Amino acid sequence: MSNQTAISKPDGFFLPKVRRGIQAAMLAVMGQWAFYGIFRCPFLVPFVNCQVCPIITCWGRITSYFWGFWLFLPLSVLFVGRAFCGWLCPGGFVNQMIGKLSFAKLRVRNRVLKFAPLGMGLGLLIVLALWFGLDNPRSMVPIRVGEFWGSLRLSFEHASPYWLVRTFVVLGLVAAGLFIANLWCRFACPTGGLLELFKGMALFRVFKTSACNDCDACLRRCEMGTRPDEVNCTNCGDCLKTCPVDAIKFGRKRKSDE
Amino acid sequence: MEPKKDGVKRRAFLKTAVASLAAAALAPGLLSAGRFQSDSLQVWSCGGLSEAFMEANGLYEQRNGVQINYTGAFAAALGKSLLGGAVTEVFAGRVLQLAQNLRTAGKMLYFRPLCFTEYVLITPLGNPAQIQTVQDMARPGVRVILPLGASPPGGDAVMGILKKAGVDQAVLKNTIEKESCVIKMMPQIISGEGAASIVERRLTRMDRFAGKVEVIPIPEALFPPGPLTFTIGVMKYAKDRALADDYVNFICSDEAQAIFDRHGFIPAASAKGRTLIEKLGVKDV
Ligand code: SF4
Ligand code: SF4
Ligand code: SF4
Repeated sequence: MSNQTAISKPDGFFLPKVRRGIQAAMLAVMGQWAFYGIFRCPFLVPFVNCQVCPIITCWGRITSYFWGFWLFLPLSVLFVGRAFCGWLCPGGFVNQMIGKLSFAKLRVRNRVLKFAPLGMGLGLLIVLALWFGLDNPRSMVPIRVGEFWGSLRLSFEHASPYWLVRTFVVLGLVAAGLFIANLWCRFACPTGGLLELFKGMALFRVFKTSACNDCDACLRRCEMGTRPDEVNCTNCGDCLKTCPVDAIKFGRKRKSDE
Repeated sequence: MEPKKDGVKRRAFLKTAVASLAAAALAPGLLSAGRFQSDSLQVWSCGGLSEAFMEANGLYEQRNGVQINYTGAFAAALGKSLLGGAVTEVFAGRVLQLAQNLRTAGKMLYFRPLCFTEYVLITPLGNPAQIQTVQDMARPGVRVILPLGASPPGGDAVMGILKKAGVDQAVLKNTIEKESCVIKMMPQIISGEGAASIVERRLTRMDRFAGKVEVIPIPEALFPPGPLTFTIGVMKYAKDRALADDYVNFICSDEAQAIFDRHGFIPAASAKGRTLIEKLGVKDV
């Protein structure tokens, strides 16, 4: 407990505030799409069949959104790894805010937590099986246009059991973030898992140098409960000024840094 | 000379009058503001009509300064909700029986015929498999994609057409894919993956598909009667009956019906629509 409160907040370090500002802005830009994806998307896997979607009012149907997003995402991984999660994803923002209220931050290293991120891999496998194996079935009565609350009610009322299971599992795991901070983004999100798989290719990253003495000051600061350049690091940069021996850097990692 | 001058004056006066009336008609929100007690109306309709309704609603809102709170979704689902505890002021549903059930249940005050749908054959541009009739889909080797898993009446209606044409088994043999959603199926025909399918004409009028497939009519005799009919009715929950009636009148007016026509429906007010009203017995009794 005492460990968890001893998070250093260096004066004059405004990057986390900038990040919050950008996250809030992205919530305005992409929040509607993300919201529809979870609550009104008729497909079991949201965000991928937008071009043939019967929902008229979801922003995912605007071509510039759909193609813009799916072209940008791989490019962003190439440059800055999983930074989408740390800086742009509206889901990530919501999860991080819920995480602030959570009972256990669980920002520690232990054997269980080491394997827990495999949950993202499992999520990814399920998504791929639904998408490619079952052709991403439409599994609820799409409320093509409608008022906010009315459409939500009707969506749930006329959804198939499959849709209800997928939706409640997602909502349940997000809500579980009240008990273990950011549980969805750390251990369950299929998109996060996909980005995690490829983030090794990134040109730029937050990393620690050989000066690191394993004090875990960064870990206690990190909303993803990790350390720079390890599993789940999103290059958010929050930890950049937390290292007592100044071992955390951002940029291209060279051999000499290891 | 004088009388002529007078004539000119009179014409000028008439012209001005007509012009100002026209101008007033262009700013009709002002004219009709306060005509109704309520400033909003809740309208539910079958999802297939959504595109047309959104356009018509826009016009109505602009004219009357009334907000239309519109929901469009699969009619049978909305109907089920309405027969349960859900509430709306105006409902435009598909399948005559649904409107009649709502009337019998005392939830709907009256209904009127709104429009009819029709089914067409679609093929990729250029019609590579030379499809002209439903029977042609049964020719060996024609790659057919059917929306058989689509929410009712989608799949059933298509099967009904094939059965009436006497080619259901042969076409099923040719079917390379059964789609769960008509909208999801369209790109497969556009791309040529499938050589033929059957959809409602409205699909071929959606912005994203218009002009991207060949459209071949199917004889009306093959249509299953059930899903053809759309009605519009005022529900007992209408807060402002005058507004609800006025809206229904507008949707049934020639101007709004032309919108439904453009979106691929047969307007109830058209000659063909009137024949169908008689043939299918679309009467509120
Ligand atoms: S456009 Fe459709 S498919 Fe895409 S996220 Fe929105 S609701 Fe889902
Ligand atoms: S893990 Fe998933 S929900 Fe969380 S920030 Fe990344 S993409 Fe968004
Ligand atoms: S280790 Fe640092 S950069 Fe990486 S996610 Fe945690 S706080 Fe952000």
